[in-house]
Amino acid sequence: MLKKLNDLQFVIGLFFTMISLILLLSVLLGNNSASELNTYTGGGFLIFGLAMMFIKGRKQ
Amino acid sequence: MRLQLADYLIILVYFIFVIGVGFLIKKKIKSSNDFLTSNRSIPLWITSLAFISANLGAQEVIGMVASGAKYGIMTVHFYWVGAIFAMVFLGVFMMPFYYGSRARSVPEYLSLRFDEKTRGLNAISFAVMTVFSSGISLYALAKLMETILHWNFDISIWISAGIVMVYTFLGGLTSAVYNEVLQFFLIVLGLSPLVIISLHDAGGWSNIKALLQPEMTHAWKYMGNANDNPMGLHFMSLIFGLGFVMSFGYWCTDFLVVQRAMIARNMGDAQRTPIIAAIPKMLMPLIVVLPGLIAITLMQPALQSKGYTIPATANGELDYTMTLPSLIAHYYPTGILGVGITALIASFMSGMAGNVTAFNSVFTFDIYQSYFVKNKSDRHYLLVGKGITVIGILISIATAYIAKSFNNINDFLQLVFGFVNGPLFATFLLGMFWKRTTGHGAFWGLVAGTLAAAVTHGVTVAEGKGGWIAELYTIKSGMGQAFIVAAISWIVNFFTTIAVSLVTKPKPDEELKGLVYSLTEKPKYHQQKWYLRIIPLGLLLLAVTILLNIIFF
Repeated sequence: MLKKLNDLQFVIGLFFTMISLILLLSVLLGNNSASELNTYTGGGFLIFGLAMMFIKGRKQ
Repeated sequence: MRLQLADYLIILVYFIFVIGVGFLIKKKIKSSNDFLTSNRSIPLWITSLAFISANLGAQEVIGMVASGAKYGIMTVHFYWVGAIFAMVFLGVFMMPFYYGSRARSVPEYLSLRFDEKTRGLNAISFAVMTVFSSGISLYALAKLMETILHWNFDISIWISAGIVMVYTFLGGLTSAVYNEVLQFFLIVLGLSPLVIISLHDAGGWSNIKALLQPEMTHAWKYMGNANDNPMGLHFMSLIFGLGFVMSFGYWCTDFLVVQRAMIARNMGDAQRTPIIAAIPKMLMPLIVVLPGLIAITLMQPALQSKGYTIPATANGELDYTMTLPSLIAHYYPTGILGVGITALIASFMSGMAGNVTAFNSVFTFDIYQSYFVKNKSDRHYLLVGKGITVIGILISIATAYIAKSFNNINDFLQLVFGFVNGPLFATFLLGMFWKRTTGHGAFWGLVAGTLAAAVTHGVTVAEGKGGWIAELYTIKSGMGQAFIVAAISWIVNFFTTIAVSLVTKPKPDEELKGLVYSLTEKPKYHQQKWYLRIIPLGLLLLAVTILLNIIFF
């Protein structure tokens, strides 16, 4: 895990995954009426974050 | 605009990540080259995104949205005329000299090609410009946070500058570049939902076209006469002033962006960096110009029920610089509001870190090592580079406070930057493609071009600015004045350099190998796959750019 932190692609993925979790948790725990945008954005960020973390291109 | 816990958490996570990147890179920093030039070890996808991100500072994000609201779709000229062609030219023709000469900076290339005095002139003017730009960026960030979030001005300045200092001090250029890539994704993905929902609210592109004046939605159609379009520009001054002089002057010679290509792993990647970067650059108007157009559409009588307005200044005029923050405040609820604010903070930090890392390289290699302390150990220059990073940030903070006290200093500095940058491309063009160009020619051409820029500004007036020598000629817009100043300074530099070169002694051919087009072995591309070849890729991009100009004609 620590070794992976040297990989920028993984770091960016981890960042967006964490942001998505904050957005999705704020929807689950909050009561704001405008949560639809947070849900869609959080979902989008989660897919992007996980893809960056786990999909690797071929090493040159 | 009031932030809640979720918003603050997102900002906090961002700060932790950017500082964390600095700590991760720190252990890889062993030499001055690691710290100041990344030891030419950065993969292509990172150099390409950093190349575009170094230019994705506050001016780009806030300024272009403001320009989109004020001038309409003509703002795309800064991309489809004022960027792509120059980026392709840099990749195809100029990178082989920058990268192949093994210069560590643009001023060092000038020293190899011409002489020390030309390098010194360029290095000093560049160092001063970058550090002041960084300060102005910092001032703008603190001012924005004070206005929209009611944060304390001093705290905003010291926290933002402190964070940039920590990660650039720890990891140098690599850390700045890695964070620029993170900031790129944050800015693009953080602002994309805003574009989608506000465009939907405005009724889509067809409704924007129906509700706005036609000159706001046509990029070229109304440029035949300067009085017919919101920028007040004739298409010829746009093409020569922006499309040639300013654009090529910035993208092909400004070390801040060129540095991102110079740290690539090999020549092919260095050449591909600006070309790959041109792809997102081409699409950037969707994120930074379209919101401005949407904002002005939402203010039309037919859409008044949407309840959006661009805030007004104390004089009652629209405060266009507040267009993006006001759109964020209008559309983003808690949670994604934190993402939007973090994207704004990221854009300022990206601009500041880019300036600081370019400043420390130029100061250490081109000023300190060249003129003050030569032949010291590598560790000595590493420590100097780190020390200069701190000093650069402290000067930026001082500049931010000066800008706070004297509003006009921003205009003044932008003006001086224009005087220095305007003529620069003529020096490089002649230096790289005409072997007869001499060091004396380059130096006096630069001096004459800069003076010509100042004099042109002094005898022209636009929007109450300029005319400090004599008000001989009135120009409709400040932007038009900037293009004319740049064009004249370029022409004066070009002909002065030729004239002085013809009467002074050139360097022998042996010393110019790898520095001048006619004396350099051309890179071979035929062994690569077609989509990796520089020229087909560049031509494809130019074709798409021309197509976009036709579609939005």
